[in-house]
Amino acid sequence: MRYRITHRTEYHYPQAISRSYNETHLAPRPTPTQQILAHDLTIAPRPDYSSERVDYYGNHVTHFTIQRPHDQLAVTATTDVSLEVPADPVAGKQGLPWEQAMAETRGGTSAAALGAREFLLDSPLVETRPALADYARTSFVPSRRLPEAVHDLMGRIHGDFAYDPAATTISTPLERVFRERRGVCQDFAHLAIACLRGLGIAARYVSGYVETAPEGGGARLIGADASHAWFAAYDPSLGWIAFDPTNNRMPAQQHITTAWGRDYGDVSPLKGVIFGGSQGQRSQVAVHVQRLDSEDSP
Amino acid sequence: MPMSATPSSTLLSGYRPLQGHHDEMVDAGGGVTGSWRYLADALDALGPDALRQRREQVRRILRERGVTYNVYGDPHGLQRTWDLDPVPVLIDSAEWGRVEHGLQQRAELLNRVLQDLYGDQELLTRGLLPAELVHGHDGFLRPCHPYRTDLAHPLTLYAADLARGPDGTVRVIGDRTQSPSGAGYALENRVVMARTLPSLFRESHVHRLALFFQNLRATLSGLAPGRDRDDPHVVVLTPGPLNETYFEHAFLASYLGYTLVEGGDLTVRDGRVWLRSMGRLEPVDVILRRLDDDYCDALELRPDSLLGVPGLTEVARRGRVAIANPLGAGILENPALHAFLPGIARHLLGQELALPGLPTWWCGDPESCEQVLARLETLVIKPIDRRAGEPAVFPGTLDAAGRDALIARIRQAPHRYVGQEQGRFSSVPTLGEPGLEPRLAVLRTFLVGRPDGYAVMPGGLTRVTGHPNDASVSNQAGGLSKDTWVIASEPVREAALLTPEVTEDGPTDRSAALPPAATENLFWMARYAERAEQSLRLLRIILRLRASDVGAGTGAPLRQLLAGLAAISGQAGDTLRRDPADDALVALLQDDSRTGTVAFNFNAMMAASHAVRDRLAPDTWRVIGTIRRRLAELPSPLPVDDLPAILDELITLLAAFRGLQEDTMVHSRSWSFLETGRCLERGLLTSAFLRAVMVTPLDTPDEPRLLDAVLEHLESLNAYHREHHRQPRPETVLQLVLSSETNPRAVGFQLARLESRLASLPAAGAPDRLSAHQRPVLDARTSLRLSDPEALLPGDGGRRDALDSLLRRTADRLGQAARALAAAYFTDPQGPRQLDPVGDRGGEQT
Repeated sequence: MRYRITHRTEYHYPQAISRSYNETHLAPRPTPTQQILAHDLTIAPRPDYSSERVDYYGNHVTHFTIQRPHDQLAVTATTDVSLEVPADPVAGKQGLPWEQAMAETRGGTSAAALGAREFLLDSPLVETRPALADYARTSFVPSRRLPEAVHDLMGRIHGDFAYDPAATTISTPLERVFRERRGVCQDFAHLAIACLRGLGIAARYVSGYVETAPEGGGARLIGADASHAWFAAYDPSLGWIAFDPTNNRMPAQQHITTAWGRDYGDVSPLKGVIFGGSQGQRSQVAVHVQRLDSEDSP
Repeated sequence: MPMSATPSSTLLSGYRPLQGHHDEMVDAGGGVTGSWRYLADALDALGPDALRQRREQVRRILRERGVTYNVYGDPHGLQRTWDLDPVPVLIDSAEWGRVEHGLQQRAELLNRVLQDLYGDQELLTRGLLPAELVHGHDGFLRPCHPYRTDLAHPLTLYAADLARGPDGTVRVIGDRTQSPSGAGYALENRVVMARTLPSLFRESHVHRLALFFQNLRATLSGLAPGRDRDDPHVVVLTPGPLNETYFEHAFLASYLGYTLVEGGDLTVRDGRVWLRSMGRLEPVDVILRRLDDDYCDALELRPDSLLGVPGLTEVARRGRVAIANPLGAGILENPALHAFLPGIARHLLGQELALPGLPTWWCGDPESCEQVLARLETLVIKPIDRRAGEPAVFPGTLDAAGRDALIARIRQAPHRYVGQEQGRFSSVPTLGEPGLEPRLAVLRTFLVGRPDGYAVMPGGLTRVTGHPNDASVSNQAGGLSKDTWVIASEPVREAALLTPEVTEDGPTDRSAALPPAATENLFWMARYAERAEQSLRLLRIILRLRASDVGAGTGAPLRQLLAGLAAISGQAGDTLRRDPADDALVALLQDDSRTGTVAFNFNAMMAASHAVRDRLAPDTWRVIGTIRRRLAELPSPLPVDDLPAILDELITLLAAFRGLQEDTMVHSRSWSFLETGRCLERGLLTSAFLRAVMVTPLDTPDEPRLLDAVLEHLESLNAYHREHHRQPRPETVLQLVLSSETNPRAVGFQLARLESRLASLPAAGAPDRLSAHQRPVLDARTSLRLSDPEALLPGDGGRRDALDSLLRRTADRLGQAARALAAAYFTDPQGPRQLDPVGDRGGEQT
C-alpha cells in the first residue's frame, strides 16, 4: 500500500514575533515494513538557519531558526511511503510468556535488549503508578504470551476509555485521564505505556499517521485530521510489536510511523521557542493521508 | 613533644581530637604532627586574643570585599557573608603528591566514562555499568548525544570532595562534573589569608593557586572553535545575581577578564552564539557555564527554563561554540558510580583506583538492594540524581513510619537509590570558644583538563562543620570555610611559589563588552544613587530651615520645600505636611518598605551594584559595604536629633561612591551608562523639584529664603554669590539652576551632557538619523534654550504656568528617552515563550 501524507501546521501571532527556534519530527523513518519514497519539508517564512540530524532514537529531526519578524509560521511535510503487511504475532500465537519476556528484558545486555531496557524506566510524561499496573494485571494472566496479553490490554483500554478531544490537553496528567476515562490517542498511548512499564514490560511511544476510514463510505475527509500516536511493546523473541489502543487494532497497512521515543516529549512533531510579539498564538493542524494506489491516485 | 610554646596559652592546650575521628593536626599519641608544627607554634605564639583579632580582620575584609554565599531560605536576606576560619588546613608535599596522582587518575577515568556514555556506550554493552544508571539518570541529556570526538577532555573542569576516614585513608566522597563551584572561593580565601597572616603565609612555603587559573584560561582559550583564533571571546554564563554562588561567578569573570553574562544577554543567530553589547552583536566562542545544563536551552532541554539560551544545544552540537563543561556532563554526578568505578578503572586504565570512594551499594542490583535494606541504619541512602530535589536520607534518624516509607520508595524504583557507608571524616583545628576545637572537614579539589593531562589546584576549598557536634558539612546549611595550604618541602619547587597570587586591586571592568543585563543594572545603580542623594540633601536643608524657622515668617518656604521633597521621593503629599511629625522625616530616611524612601533607594542601588560587581573596583565595593553597614546599624526608629549627622555621613559616602567610579571607570563603556543614568535622573528630579518650589511665587521676604534653600539644595549658592553678590532673585536663580549648561547641577547641563553621551553610544540606526533616545533629549534641550526668561517669570505674582509647562515637558521627554534606551540596550523583559504544542491528537478511525 502506498500513501501520500500531507501534514501542515500553522501558527498565527497577533503581533509579529522577532525570532523563533524550532525542531520538528516530521519525516517518517524507514522500518522493516515501511519504505520512504519521497519526503519534502516546506517552511514559511524561509528559515535563516536550518539543519538535519538523526536523534538518539534514530528519528529524523529538522532544526530551524527564523530570526526576522514574522506573524505566522507554516510548516508542511509531504511524504510518500510504501507499506508492507507486518506479521501478526497475536494471530500467529507467537511470543514469549510475558513473565519470561519480562525477565529476559530486565537482564539483557545485547544491543537490542539494552535499547529496550531504557523503555522500562519512567520518562518525563509517563510515570508508573501502582493503580495503573493493577489495571493492566487483569490482562496478564500467568503464562499468557506477551503479544496476546498486550492485545487484551489494548482492547480493554479501547472499551473503557472514551475518545474525547475536549477532555484533555497536552498537559493533562495521566492520573486524570485514568480517573475520568477519556482522552485522545496520545493519552491512551501514554496510559498503555505506563501500564506495561509498571509490570516490567518495555514499552515505547510511536508517533505517526493513520488512514481514517471514509465516513459512511463517502469521500475521505481531507485535512480534517491530526497526527496520531500509538505504542509498541518489547518481546525479546520478536522485537517491538505495535498496538493502537485508540482504534483497537494492530497497526498494519493503514499506520504510517514517523518517530518513536520514551513518550510524546521525545518526538513532538513541532516544538519551538519564540521571542517578542505579544501574548497569545493560534495554531492549526491539518493532516491528510491519501492512498496512492491506482483507484486513489490523482 | 610539648604542644605549646607558651604554657599559659589556651589555644592548643585545650585541643582534644574527637573520639573515633582522625585528626589532621594531632596524632594518636596527642602530639602535633610534623607538617603542622610550624603553624602550631606560630599560632600559639600569637595567642588566642590575637588570633581572634585576625578573625575579626578576616571577617571585615570579607565584608568589605562583599564576599557572599547566598543561603536559600535564610531569613537574614540573600546576601550572607562568606565565613573563613583564620586557621588554615595543611597538607605536606609528599601526601599531596599522592592525592594529586589519585585525582588525576580519577579525572582521566571519569573523562573516559563521559566520552563513552556520550559515544558508543561500550561500558553498557560490556556490563561494566548498568544501563539504568545512564538511562534513568536525569543528567543524561539525549539531545546532546553523541559528543563530538574532537575534544580530548570533554570533562574540562572537575571537582572532587575528599575526606579522610578514621583509618587515615583519603576517599572521594563526591564528584562535581556539571559546573563545579568553589575554585573562586578558594582563591578569595587565599587572598584574605595572605593579607591577614602575611608573615606566617610567607614563611610557610605555600604552593600558589595562580598557576591553576592560568591553566584554566589556557584551556578555555584552547576550546575555541577554529583553533587558530588568537583571542577567542570567552564569557561566563551565570543564572544571575540571585544564585547562591553569584559572588564567585562575578569574581572569576573579573579575575579571568571574561564578560559575565546571563542567558538573556546571549542570542543564537545564523547557527552561532552572540553576545548583545550596546545594541550590537559580538560572536562568542567559549562559554564557561555556571548554569545547570538542563536550564541552558528551553528548546531542546528544559522547556520551562527562562535562564538559558534557546538554540544553544544545536550550536554546540555543530561545534560552533564550546561549553565548559559540555551539556550533559552532569551524568557523572551519580553516587552509584562509586560501586562500579573500580571495575571500570581496571577495564579502561588497567589500574586500581588510587583514591577509593566510599563503599556504595546500588539498589538496582537485587542482591545489593537486600544488603542495603538489611543494614539500613548504618548507611546513608542517596538518590542517583537530583531529580525532584530528593535529599540524602540517614535512615538511622528516622522513626519506624519514616523507615517504612523509605523502604517502599526504594522498592518502587530500586535503580534510583544507593546505600553508602557514612563517612566518619577527620577533624581540623578551628578557632572556637575558648581556643582551637576540632571540626569535621571536607576538601573540595579542582582540576582542569590540559592537552597533556589534568592540572590540579594545589590545595582547594576546605569546608568544616559549623559546630563541633555537626555531622554534615555544607555551605547551604551555613558552614565555615578554610584556606588549604599545600606546604612545599623540596627547594626545587620554590619556583612554583614565586608565581604571584592574585593582585587584589587589579584592573576591573576589563571586559570590553557591555551586555544588556549589566547595562541595565549600571544605569539603575546610578539612578537610585542619585535619587538617594537628592532626598538626603533636601532633607538636610529642610531640617536646617525648620530649626531656624521656629516662629519666623509664614512657613511658606518650608511648605514649598516639603512639596519638593514629596515630589522627588514620590511620596504622597499628605505624609509630608507643612509641619511633618519627626517620624515622617525619619521614615523617609529609614523605612525601606515604602517606595522612594532613602533606604528603599539605597537597597535598590545595592541590588543593582551586586549584579554588576564584576565591573566595580574593590574600593567602590568597600564604600557600598560601608553604606550597607551604616544603614543596618542605625537604631530604628532613629532619634530625630541624630538625623543631621547621619545625613552628612551618607551624603559624604555617596560622594565617595561617585568619585571612585569617576576615577576607576571613566573611560569604560560602563562609565558611559552610569553617567547617562545619573544625568537622566538628575534632570528628572531637578525638574520635578523646581516645579514644586518655583511655579507658585512667594511674597517677600519668603521668596529670597526659599531661593536660598533652592540654591543650597542644588549646590549653587557659592556660584550664585560669586556672580551676583546680592539677595537671590527668581530670574537669576532660574538661569543658574535651570538653563545653565555649565553648572553641573542645572537641568540644562544634564540635557547637554546627555546629548553628547547618547551621541557617543553605538547607534543602532543610520548615522545621520537621530535614534529614539536622542530625539526627546534634543527636543527638551531645544525647548529649554528657546524659552523666554521673561515669559517664564511674568512678575504679576500669579502662577508661573509657562515655567510649569516647560518643566513638565522636560520631564516628559526625559522619561521618553529612558524608555527608548531600555528598549535599545536592556534585557528584553518578555523573555522566551514556548510555542503551544499541538500534540498527537488525531487518528481515531471512524
